[in-house]
Amino acid sequence: MADRSNQGLPRGNSNAYAQGPEDRTVIGAGCFVRGRINGSGDLEIAGRVEGDVTVSGEVIVDTAALVASAITARRIVVRGAVKGDLVASESVIIESGARVVGDLRAPRVAIAEGGLVRGHVQTGAASAGRMASRSAMATATTEGRAMRPVANPPAAVIPTAPTTPTTPTTPTRVAPKPTQAASAAPPSNHGSERDKAAPPPRTGSMVAGRLGPPPPVVASLKKGTKAIAHHKKR
Amino acid sequence: MASTVIGAGITIEGEVTSDEDVVVLGTLRGKLVAKDAVTVEQGGVVEADVESGPVTVAGSITGNISSNDRVDLQNGAKVVGNVKATRITIADGAQFKGNVDMDV
Repeated sequence: MADRSNQGLPRGNSNAYAQGPEDRTVIGAGCFVRGRINGSGDLEIAGRVEGDVTVSGEVIVDTAALVASAITARRIVVRGAVKGDLVASESVIIESGARVVGDLRAPRVAIAEGGLVRGHVQTGAASAGRMASRSAMATATTEGRAMRPVANPPAAVIPTAPTTPTTPTTPTRVAPKPTQAASAAPPSNHGSERDKAAPPPRTGSMVAGRLGPPPPVVASLKKGTKAIAHHKKR
Repeated sequence: MASTVIGAGITIEGEVTSDEDVVVLGTLRGKLVAKDAVTVEQGGVVEADVESGPVTVAGSITGNISSNDRVDLQNGAKVVGNVKATRITIADGAQFKGNVDMDV
């Protein structure tokens, strides 16, 4: 160390990368990345990654790697463990020893003998409808999806959900009570209390209630309680 | 070969923790913790606090650097942030703005 102290030369190993392909990224075995990785070039993962990966080139997940993220790339080769959806514009290759929990989507999907996959597999060009339904499906049925047979596409269930609230409410009762429908909609989105107190007379509101975000895990505070607490503090 | 290389076209937003060397040719935002050497090559951009062993900078770092060994700012390096290390070299042509703490 002391002999190097007065020379401003680059460290010996740094030159090796300047010569090699500069657009190749390696996440080493002892490395843990938590966050998004995106950009152009290839990516090799031998360590741990949590967060979305979006790369224009090839992604290789090595045997020792633990990846908990969705991967989007031109080509994806998996030899390690991945928990997340794999979307490739060219091909997804699951090699022997790989463990994948998540959906696979690519024009070409290869699963070698010894590769474990739990999830939906779709070959061919990615369809827009499937893409749109994916987010809804992910929130609705993350657990149950894996157990279902592959032949039963969850995509068929999802598109019906967003369309149902608009079709019954708008065309059937446009004139009679648009204000009531408008007033009934917001509480169903926020808290479950007011919804429960008032008996749900119409099926439309039920559907709308089912559509909204799930009820909060924490007991919802009454309107204004926070403000009162603030005043008391002062 | 260093174990972790962030390529020129790659951007990582988040926290990178490594037990081994890290070489940055691309962009890293967030936090960088390495037990071993960190090298930011020419063209590499680190917008993060760096906590590591020896640090060699030929690119740019915006953030505080804390090293348990030495920090070398090479010609062409651009560092904005405080540097804490046992030894520091700043080469002619390196840009640096920040405090230096050398545990005197």
